[in-house]
Amino acid sequence: MIILIQIAVILVALVIIVAALVGKQSHSARAWKKIALCLLAVAMIVAVLFPSMTNTVANALGVGRGADLLLYVLTVAFIGYALNNYLQQQNQRDELNRLARKVALLEAIARYKN
Amino acid sequence: MITKDVAIIIPVYNEAEVVAAVIKRVLKHYKYVVCVNDGSKDTSSEEIQKTKAYLVEHPINMGQGAALQTGIEFARTLPVKYFVTFDADGQHRLEDAEKMVSILRKGNQDIIMGSRFLGTAPGIKASKVVVLKLAIKFSNFTSGLKLTDTHNGLRAFNRKVAEGMQITLPDMAHASEILEIIAQKKYRYKEIPVTIEYTDYSKGKGQSIINAVNIGFDTLLRKFIR
Repeated sequence: MIILIQIAVILVALVIIVAALVGKQSHSARAWKKIALCLLAVAMIVAVLFPSMTNTVANALGVGRGADLLLYVLTVAFIGYALNNYLQQQNQRDELNRLARKVALLEAIARYKN
Repeated sequence: MITKDVAIIIPVYNEAEVVAAVIKRVLKHYKYVVCVNDGSKDTSSEEIQKTKAYLVEHPINMGQGAALQTGIEFARTLPVKYFVTFDADGQHRLEDAEKMVSILRKGNQDIIMGSRFLGTAPGIKASKVVVLKLAIKFSNFTSGLKLTDTHNGLRAFNRKVAEGMQITLPDMAHASEILEIIAQKKYRYKEIPVTIEYTDYSKGKGQSIINAVNIGFDTLLRKFIR
């Protein structure tokens, strides 16, 4: 049973990382991110209202305690979030650079036209 | 003799101390010098304007790779056949650039790159050699090319390469990216020995070793996304 959760967490982590990397910000990719975020929020509310439930789920999955399960889920979610953010930031920087380059070239070409 | 079919592209970032002298030296031999001031915080822009070089001003600091791309795009509008990238701190020798262009003129190569490990680099720090050797292994691995020096700012290429060049990685990671572009587009490339003159000034401006982590991460990430 221990092995099951280990495999599951590693698989989910890999899927999230690959999805974050390959996803070209399509509509469906953005929609899935929102769904995942909502699910995480709902899970958090449930966990707060019924603290014993995390233990039950954890035991069913073969994790010792509910707190451990939460830690795993949050770690995976955080890595996915951080990578996604980094890639988005890089895309934005690239776009900004192209815009700035266009401005620089237009200005320089106009200056040397005479 | 002033060469009129070559554009020398010089990315400039905070080089006010030396840039004017370097440009004047280049202008003695080449008609077209394109300087890209990458949002310098010092008086680099004024120093460049004192010379007859073309000046393209980045409105913000965008990194050396981005500055090279801007310089190449501006130089494309000039009536030149060949393009040379040259560092602003004066560590490259014009004789080497001349040699590269003369190889291009024969028409058997598309891009010529300088190698300090085929040539000499007097005054190079031992720590820099170690980092560079690792960088070379890494870049050869990601691009699939076989080179002896992958992070040399001195390069010469023809118009076909200039039109096809699209550098997107803004910082030092552009060195690996250029090699990937060469491999992808199957440009004919050659390395020739060059001499790099490390002065106290250029030594003080080198890349920090820890920055290699950033470059490696970004390059691998890109590779993975593609």
